[in-house]
Amino acid sequence: MGPVIATESLTKKYKEKVVVDQLDLRVPGGSIYGFLGPNGAGKSTTLKMLLGLVKPTAGNITILGKEVSSKNRLTILSSTGSLIESPAYYGHLSGKENLQIICTLKNLPETEIPRVLQIVRMKDQQNKKVSQYSLGMKQRLGLAAALLGNPKILLLDEPTNGLDPAGIQEMRELISSLPRTFGITVLISSHLLSEIDQMATHVGIINQGELVFQDSLSALHEHSRSRLLLRTSDDQRSFSYLKHSGLPAEWKNGSLSLRTLEDNRIMQAVSLLVNSGIGVLRLEEQQMSLEDIFLHLTGKQVSL
Amino acid sequence: MLTRCISAESRKLCHSMILPACLLIPIIPAIMGTFNYLQNQGILESEWYSLWTQNTLFYACFFFAPLIGLYCSYLWRLEHRHNNWNMIMTAPVPVSCLFFAKLAVILAITLLTQIWMGALYLICGKLVGLPGFCPPEIILWLLRGLLGAVPICSLQLLLSMKIRSFSVPIGIALIGSVTGMLIINNDMGLIWPYSLMLLGMNSNKTEDSLAGGLLPFLVSAAVFSLIFCGLSIWFLKHRDVNA
Repeated sequence: MGPVIATESLTKKYKEKVVVDQLDLRVPGGSIYGFLGPNGAGKSTTLKMLLGLVKPTAGNITILGKEVSSKNRLTILSSTGSLIESPAYYGHLSGKENLQIICTLKNLPETEIPRVLQIVRMKDQQNKKVSQYSLGMKQRLGLAAALLGNPKILLLDEPTNGLDPAGIQEMRELISSLPRTFGITVLISSHLLSEIDQMATHVGIINQGELVFQDSLSALHEHSRSRLLLRTSDDQRSFSYLKHSGLPAEWKNGSLSLRTLEDNRIMQAVSLLVNSGIGVLRLEEQQMSLEDIFLHLTGKQVSL
Repeated sequence: MLTRCISAESRKLCHSMILPACLLIPIIPAIMGTFNYLQNQGILESEWYSLWTQNTLFYACFFFAPLIGLYCSYLWRLEHRHNNWNMIMTAPVPVSCLFFAKLAVILAITLLTQIWMGALYLICGKLVGLPGFCPPEIILWLLRGLLGAVPICSLQLLLSMKIRSFSVPIGIALIGSVTGMLIINNDMGLIWPYSLMLLGMNSNKTEDSLAGGLLPFLVSAAVFSLIFCGLSIWFLKHRDVNA
């Protein structure tokens, strides 16, 4: 399937400050696209531009093959569900009454309400005033509202913010099940790499308004080039020997490593060292974690 | 689309404080006006007409516009709080329908307020022992007051939409209607939106202040309403949403 959301040179400036800089997003149909970046990287602004809440300074957006414009606004919005920032609700009304209002605005039958309440497991609390809900319940009500009318696209902005670990787990399972159960394409933003790693099929990483990486999650994992950590009786001498014979040796923070996992090169390296009278003590495979890649791509400490 | 939006707006007002405000607040100027009438019966000799001047003096000059301001602030506060801006602006309805639905709801409550004010006037008249029934043109004046309130409703909706504070737009309405009275005394009532309702209601006057013709009044009310509605919808269409 082609991309259901595509942006071209999408840019937003507030006065002179560039918040989103020439973004080219490609969200494939049926995917869970993790939109990752540190706080303040421009994730929310991007999602708001997709929904028409914020007007882009430059560039254009295509959703489900239609350009986002005032002409197509209603068509696009009726096939989109969203949960932006924290969930929206009228506190003096019950959960059910809140959903009724959205049903009326979206022109949906009220039979949708029990269906979405079932999905988010909120049937028992539907008649309680929303002001008395816990944050997790409000978040689930927000998701239920976004699911009304079975949209083709779901835009979720940090949906696990402020939830406890059980709530996060539940929300994650719920979101993961959406594409295969309902055929919904999900675009979810987060500053938590581990969260995206557990849910997403595709990843886009944004930093200071610029897209620094965009591909499938497995491609991101391939980025985690493995290294071979070496411990020898004389690391420093080993390093110069290895370097001298053209092997990809690295000397960093007092430890020696080889930037390859090819069997031939490893054999070559070990026999070189042994023949030079150096004892090889340890050979250890080390994978670069996603945190390391993130740090590498954004140049920033990742928040966990 | 518009009917859907109106029904959504009226659902939001279930269990809200709008209805109590609409019922309780007009009682205050009715009591003040009637008390004033009783104190000055020596110079107020036109019975029902005199009572009307006293009741509307307080109602129209100090209470009506701020009361509309209160309705509008309340309606927009529902959206200003808890990110509801995001919800209404991602609903698949034209923004003009969102605005006109709010205006329709406000006008309906304003109509209710006017009817209640008329009822209070009758009750007070009977309580102070006025004979017979009130003059029939009073009903016309109440209706004209409602027409004069349309520009105020659209202006207050615009103010409460842009100003997130609850009380500032109400304060503006109070200043606006007090200024409105001064402007009417200088015969320029038709160029100030807050004056139109005072003119329509024939506030504090026994002879008809619109005896010269209804048309300029209607044109002025229509022009002001169009300007304020147009501005509001332009803001909704072209400005970034700030939830």
